[in-house]
Amino acid sequence: MAAWDLSVTVEDLGPDAPPIVISVTSDLHIGRVILDVVQKTQLQRDWSDHALWWEQKQQWLLRTAWTLEKCGIHADAKLVLTPQHKPLQLGLPNGVTVRLCACFSRAVFHTVVEICKVLNIRHPEELSLLRPVEVKKKKKDKDHVQNIYDLTDVSLTSDSIPCLYNGMPVHFTDSPKAEDIYKMLSMCQPSPSPEALAKMYRPASIVDKTHIHTRWLDSSRTLMQQGVQQDDTLWLRFKYNTFYDLEPKYDAVRLTQLYEQARWAILLEDIDCTEEEMMLFGALQYHISKLAQSESQNRVSGIEDLDCALQSLELKLEGDKSGTTDMIVRDTPYFLFRATRPTAFPKRLTLKGYKQYWFKFKDTSISYYKNQEERFGEPIQQLNLKGSDVSPDVNVAGQKFCIKLLIPAPEGMNELYLRCEDEQQYSQWMAACRLGSKGLTLADSSFQREKKSIQSFLSMQRSNSGDQSAQTSENINTFSLLSPRYQKKYKAKQLTPRILDSYQNVARLSMTEAILKFLQIWQALPDFGISYFMVRFKGSRKDEVLGIANNRLIRIDLGVGDVVKTWRYSNMRQWNVNWDIRQVAIEFDGNINMAFGCVTADCKIVHEYIGGYIFMSTRGRDRSDTLNEELFHKLTGGHEVL
Amino acid sequence: MDDIDAMFSDLLGEMDLLTQSLGVEDVRPPSPKKEVNLSVGFTDLNESLLELEDNDLDALMADLMADLDATEKLAAEKKAAAKDPHPTLENLHLPSPDHASVPAPPLPPAHRASSAENEEQAKADKIKLALEKLKEAKVKKLVVKVEMTNGSSKTLMVDERQTVRDVLDNLFEKTHCDCNVDWCLYETNPELQTERGFEDHENLVEPLSAWTRDSENKVLFREQEDKYAVFKNPQNFYLWKKDKKALKDMKDKDKELLLEENFCGSSIIVPDLEGALYLKEDGKKSWKQRYFLLRASGIYYVPKGKTKTSRDLVSLVNFDNVNVYYAKEYKAKYKAPTDFCFILKHPQIQKESQYIKYLCCDDHRAMTLWVTGIRVAKYGIALYENYKTAVKRSSASSSWTDRINSTQSTPSPTPKAKAANGHPLPPPPLMDVLPPPPPDPVMPPPPPLPNKGGLPPPPPPSSVTKNRGGALPPAPVEDFPPPPPLDDGELPPDFMPPPPPAAGVGFYLHGGEALPPPPPDPVGLPLAPPPPGPPPPPPPPPPVGAPAPRPVLPAKREGPAPPKRTTPGLSAPSGGDFMSELMVAMQKKRVQQ
Repeated sequence: MAAWDLSVTVEDLGPDAPPIVISVTSDLHIGRVILDVVQKTQLQRDWSDHALWWEQKQQWLLRTAWTLEKCGIHADAKLVLTPQHKPLQLGLPNGVTVRLCACFSRAVFHTVVEICKVLNIRHPEELSLLRPVEVKKKKKDKDHVQNIYDLTDVSLTSDSIPCLYNGMPVHFTDSPKAEDIYKMLSMCQPSPSPEALAKMYRPASIVDKTHIHTRWLDSSRTLMQQGVQQDDTLWLRFKYNTFYDLEPKYDAVRLTQLYEQARWAILLEDIDCTEEEMMLFGALQYHISKLAQSESQNRVSGIEDLDCALQSLELKLEGDKSGTTDMIVRDTPYFLFRATRPTAFPKRLTLKGYKQYWFKFKDTSISYYKNQEERFGEPIQQLNLKGSDVSPDVNVAGQKFCIKLLIPAPEGMNELYLRCEDEQQYSQWMAACRLGSKGLTLADSSFQREKKSIQSFLSMQRSNSGDQSAQTSENINTFSLLSPRYQKKYKAKQLTPRILDSYQNVARLSMTEAILKFLQIWQALPDFGISYFMVRFKGSRKDEVLGIANNRLIRIDLGVGDVVKTWRYSNMRQWNVNWDIRQVAIEFDGNINMAFGCVTADCKIVHEYIGGYIFMSTRGRDRSDTLNEELFHKLTGGHEVL
Repeated sequence: MDDIDAMFSDLLGEMDLLTQSLGVEDVRPPSPKKEVNLSVGFTDLNESLLELEDNDLDALMADLMADLDATEKLAAEKKAAAKDPHPTLENLHLPSPDHASVPAPPLPPAHRASSAENEEQAKADKIKLALEKLKEAKVKKLVVKVEMTNGSSKTLMVDERQTVRDVLDNLFEKTHCDCNVDWCLYETNPELQTERGFEDHENLVEPLSAWTRDSENKVLFREQEDKYAVFKNPQNFYLWKKDKKALKDMKDKDKELLLEENFCGSSIIVPDLEGALYLKEDGKKSWKQRYFLLRASGIYYVPKGKTKTSRDLVSLVNFDNVNVYYAKEYKAKYKAPTDFCFILKHPQIQKESQYIKYLCCDDHRAMTLWVTGIRVAKYGIALYENYKTAVKRSSASSSWTDRINSTQSTPSPTPKAKAANGHPLPPPPLMDVLPPPPPDPVMPPPPPLPNKGGLPPPPPPSSVTKNRGGALPPAPVEDFPPPPPLDDGELPPDFMPPPPPAAGVGFYLHGGEALPPPPPDPVGLPLAPPPPGPPPPPPPPPPVGAPAPRPVLPAKREGPAPPKRTTPGLSAPSGGDFMSELMVAMQKKRVQQ
């Protein structure tokens, strides 16, 4: 057999080195070619990860037993010997970039599986990679150096799920640096500054929202085939909005990243919500970042039940100024305070409308007396706060600290305004009223926390009125919790009480509970989990939007933004893609057929989305934890794989 | 160690204060309209007990015995836990008539010497114990009269920790109905013309405590098709926009899929209801039409000149503090556009108020959609859990009643023939409860039961007395034989032997005459004269039901007894000062006869 020359570029020799030329025959198999090339380089290193990449054909030559002839390689072929794993800059949902080695030689689906193993994210099938939004480089941005976390050294020894050590996967325990990275992955990031938030790209319309989905990589092809180079930046995101088996015990990173993705979706208005919902999201973010702060400051073990009970029992009798050292045990501690209330219940309140009474808070009720001396006698009135509506009416600058109470009664609601003397008194009474409205007594362990949070909200209001961007570790700017729309619409001092209002419903949640709650509310939004694509339906002359969700397809009229029609996957008989004319045709039960061509996104992306969701719905049926990669490709691959 | 003693003595004082305040709390302004109220207040135990009719009393006794028994056990456990060498008599401190409040549960005696390392532990135990007791002491109990569909009623003692599910189970035992998932406890408010089915996970005492003294509200025990309709036919709610035929032809597999999608994910999905409704709010008289949307976070409407975009929506109400109620005949009452109205209000509100949101739908279907949608939004997964429990309960009991049925028979106390509920929904799709096979037709009349506790059919007055004396407490299972199965809630089977009419009437009269003259009432509790109520409906009242429907008003009773009412123990409990009071009460009654 005739010998001919084959030139192979070896990347390890440097970009300018000439290709190595070896003499080969057509029956030489690929493995031998690699061996010959390596020997000729005379470099001593681990070549086990290297493989040949055929540039013209844009394909890997991974079957080392195949001969050159079988691969169809001739003398004109440009081959490159290159590592299959290359470093990649990966933008995570939390906005942080990590640098890690990703597989460039296998389908992106597998690449993501590998990445998620390193990051310790279960159910990698729900995530995928997409190209980042192009950012117009400005000169100003030059000095802004983003901290990149390097994970390229991490190598996973076995194929099994990494075992935990100290609550961390073993491969993160090698060095303090790795531990820090794990902390970054599993802890929520601080809120962005309002200015940064305002500068970020926000989709203004449903059409804008269709653009994000044009950027997904093809799961059935390799990174190399899709033109991704070493050290390129890609984003890792949750793609299929059906989150299987979220388990806080194992899913620290997954939950955190999912929360971050959800938070950004809310902040950047990827998903619409009402004002009330936005306030609740804001309150949850506030709560979560508070907890994250305190947790990072001192990672002490939780207080035992008993300590908690004791603490709450030993509440100081606030009215007793003399005996400061005595701890007084009470089942339902009450403190005595002066507060004022209006003589009647006028709608419009002036300062003069208030009259001074002696108030007592006990259990979940407030009672008031004519004066301090009569506090052991019969109260003028006793009102149970359970189920009542407590709202603040505060102006720090004007030194106005009022609590508005709407207390349910058979005839309706009693309106009552309590005017407190100062911040201290206000935060105490406000905390008590809030607990009372929940049916909790002051003995509840959350009283102190509630009080603190009210105080910090008050100080938030103070700092907001002065310096907008003041953001210390103690305080969080209200505006960084809400989408920039609200920066324009409201003043901080209008928003703070509203967030505080929502906050009272979530203040008692633990970190994990709060994250889960955030995700729950996010998932309960009507528009949740819909990926939009610009399409043109067969027989229609105008562009329309197709929404793909985990259980249905939605046809949306672009003009009105209204849902025109919904098809559910459960009624779907089959779907086909005509790759030549780039058209997806779907048949539903009852002889309903529809077909559409994709306008902006690649047809493969749409096809993969539908197939992907059907794949997701097959999970859990066989109850095995192994990922059925083959099935995924079958459902999403299209003709290129089959 | 001194400080702990100090703490406890302080605690003691505190509890005194507590009891006083509780007593104060219970005082409500006496209402002028007392005559229809039957109030069982344990604050004045004797009087109220005398008010009860015999059958009520017997039933209550059974409940109480169970309670006492349970308390005994609990007390024993506690003692063991506290490692107290001196047994304390801590249970059964039931209120005495003059001291209208909770007695402080005796505290464990001041600390005894213990080794240093045990000190901390002992302290902890004591504090825990004290906390437990405080909780225990505050347990509220109500005597609730539940009206059956046939107009009769049952009286139950309900503990504040009992859920509606517990009470339903209790009623299942007492009535021997078919236990299907549609049975529910319903609250009606004649003043507002509203009604609402309590959810199974709710505590019953809490909503009942919101009733006013002069309330004419009632608790009904009846079947409601719409209670779990959303789980039986989820497509009617989640795919409500589709045409009716498609919804009717829905396959079971697809229904399951819908349930899985909406209730089994990490987040509950609320039906995406939207549409034009009429709203009357803020005390205004007019009804205004607006476009409403239901979201998990509340009801919203589209403000004038805006679109349905989420951020423009205006919140009408969120569900944290309000419940949803069906409203009846609002066309006449409030000039509503239709009679398909529902309201949203705080459960405490019992009368017309500007804080109530009145909503009116075009048709019955829309009303059911909205009310159910709101329930899903408010209760979330709890609703689904309730349903699953109810299904389990109904399938378990249907097999159970089959077995019992072959040995006993009595007319079913709950023929549902005249369920006057105004929600004529189509019958459920026959998926949950298979009707049990008909009982042996050779049974009636009931053979005399060997045991002495058997009351039904109502014996003549003399035997009642005898029975009561002998059989204390009657075990409920023996007491009321299970009914013949109801054929999927149809009319009562025709083989039912009506109880002897004479006995029924005699029983009624007896109950009426036995009422003693009202004793002086320290708290202003009204005493009900025999109600002028309607005569017993065609199927004579069941043995244990009260003769006529009467609104019952809950009264509070604070006692350390935990709930446990299913199997009353037969052994007489110790420390029975309460029991002896009861006996005295009944003795008195007998003398008066």
